[in-house]
Amino acid sequence: MSDLEVRDLTRVFASGGTSRRAVDGISFTAASGLLTGFVGGNGAGKTTTMRMIMGVLAITEGEVLFDGAPVTRADRRQFGYMPEERGLYPKQPVLDQLVYLARLRGVAAGAARREVLEHLDRLGLADRGKEHVEKLSLGNQQRVQIVAALMGQPKALVLDEPFSGLDPAAVDAMGDLLREHTRRGVPVLFSSHQLDLVERLCERLVILGGGTVLAGGTPDELRSQGTLRHRLVLSGDAGFVRAVPGVRAVDVDGPSALLELDDDAAAARLLSAALERGSVHEFSPVRPTLAQIYREVTA
Amino acid sequence: MSANPETGAVRNAWMLVATREIVVRALNKGFLVGLLVTVVFVAGIIAFTSYMGNRTESFDVAVVAGDESAATALEAAADGRGGVPSDDKVELTVVRVADAEAARAALVDESADAWLSSGTPEDAGWTLSGWREPDGTLVSLLGTSVRDQVLAARAAGAGTSMSALTEGSEVATERLDGNPVDPQVVFLAGFVLAFLFFMGAVGSGSMIAGSVIEEKQSRLVEIIATAVPLRQLLAGKIIGSSVIALGQNVVLAAVGLVGLSFTDLSAVLPSMTASMLWFVAFFTVGFVAVAALYAVAGSLASRTEDLQYTTSPLMMLLMGVYIVTFAADGTLERVLSYVPPASIVSMPVRVLAGDAAWWEPLLSLAILLVATVGAVLLGERAYRGALMQTGGRVTWRSAMAAERGTTLGA
Repeated sequence: MSDLEVRDLTRVFASGGTSRRAVDGISFTAASGLLTGFVGGNGAGKTTTMRMIMGVLAITEGEVLFDGAPVTRADRRQFGYMPEERGLYPKQPVLDQLVYLARLRGVAAGAARREVLEHLDRLGLADRGKEHVEKLSLGNQQRVQIVAALMGQPKALVLDEPFSGLDPAAVDAMGDLLREHTRRGVPVLFSSHQLDLVERLCERLVILGGGTVLAGGTPDELRSQGTLRHRLVLSGDAGFVRAVPGVRAVDVDGPSALLELDDDAAAARLLSAALERGSVHEFSPVRPTLAQIYREVTA
Repeated sequence: MSANPETGAVRNAWMLVATREIVVRALNKGFLVGLLVTVVFVAGIIAFTSYMGNRTESFDVAVVAGDESAATALEAAADGRGGVPSDDKVELTVVRVADAEAARAALVDESADAWLSSGTPEDAGWTLSGWREPDGTLVSLLGTSVRDQVLAARAAGAGTSMSALTEGSEVATERLDGNPVDPQVVFLAGFVLAFLFFMGAVGSGSMIAGSVIEEKQSRLVEIIATAVPLRQLLAGKIIGSSVIALGQNVVLAAVGLVGLSFTDLSAVLPSMTASMLWFVAFFTVGFVAVAALYAVAGSLASRTEDLQYTTSPLMMLLMGVYIVTFAADGTLERVLSYVPPASIVSMPVRVLAGDAAWWEPLLSLAILLVATVGAVLLGERAYRGALMQTGGRVTWRSAMAAERGTTLGA
């Protein structure tokens, strides 16, 4: 079990006389065998954090631990990494450059070739191996880039926006691929701003904003921190709910309303007021979505 | 390929990098076409020069019936008789015409290239007419022939002979340095070596800069850097592009030398070959420095578009070497033959000219070697400093000052 752990990580960018704390003392763990989603708006510090984890950017303060000990160069050499920008070598055939990258990581030539072909097949690119990367569609270039990160049985995966630009089928194939790695006990950390996708895939979530961790945990834990809402559907117009004490109307649309209730007494007041006016078709708690949680914590 | 147990890094990763550089470049159409064009160009120049030097020029010269002096002078020139130096590269054909009118007509319809007339004492005397200005070779050939004929006649009138008059007036030439190479050949060789240096350095240098920025711009370097020490990446790139640059120059030099063997210059081939070998040795060492600096230029850019800006100081330096070395002479050349990178061109030229002692190229090569080691160390530091800095061009100063504290370091 080898967790990837970030402790009090800070990065200050100094330019001219000013300095900016892009990442400000963040701590979290990408546990082994789990998919950890890294969520946050633009400029939240996701890429900077990932670059520090991979060692391509110097750490100002704090440390990165792997398997309980400070991460070493040897560890990082066995991490699969997908940087923020995409590219690869535009004018080299897909197969050749993937084999090259795998061999740089120490995979023998024959094994590298087999592994690349297998991955290409899994992602539906089996017949594109001889094509130049620049000839592929953006989505396919993205798949090639993913393959580059997964070569050579990595001990951890750090993937910056691996799902951007993928169609739903590719997202599923990619999700399956990542699960294979978590089943091996590998920690997988990936960033995304597609919240629905993160919600569906991840076992753990870290929400980043302004260089700090705003919230973290399993999707259920996060949801339980969110404000519980109730849906009310009536036979008549629901506009009166705004006047009930202890009830906040989030949204009212004809006979239905989405409400936040202060306490049980407020619920009782609301229901009796509703029954006075007609029949109640529905009154149920609404599980908060991650998008809602995200909006709440980043607000 | 085995892994280093301590760092997990592939041993000899530089070989993988170098191999990729070479394969990718050798398969690059632009590179191959460029090389082919240059080879054709070099072979073409040699063939053209050789053709111009060996071709037989033939002239049809008209002479009017009754103008016996002109006819005699012409025949003497054609046969190489009468003291006119025989030149087997010029062929004269005498075209006899009826009168001056017919001679002019022959010039107009181009059945004759020129018309030689001895004239009369009243008018201008000997005249060589052409539709345009008569060819210089013909003028000098016929001029000599006519002069000899007139002199011979006057000598006979004065009771002596031509040979008695000119006896002992020939000037022989002698060269004491024992070097058979014509100074003009040395000059030409200087030009060619400067050209080869410039072509190879700028061509392969730009390629290495392009390959560095390609990796930086796409962030591929971040993937590679986590797997392989940057020092090995740089070493692989330098070695790969040096092999290409050297291979290119060896091909061109071989084409040049083989081409020369078919020309009159084949006599100087042995000294030319020695000079070429020195050039290859100097270029091999010197190009490593050039490649390291071009790699830095590539890493200072943040997009391909920046390359023109970041490589321009190097371009200027190489251009300067190109211009200065092929024009240099005397003391300046002697000094330049020790100053890298000019020594790459100047020392082999001095070897060809035969004015370098045996130890001079060795000393100069040692100086170049030291300079190269310095350039590579400097380049390696700046390359690692600049490579991970994204967003805008990086200056040399900030590249050198950058924290290489990242664990990627060496």
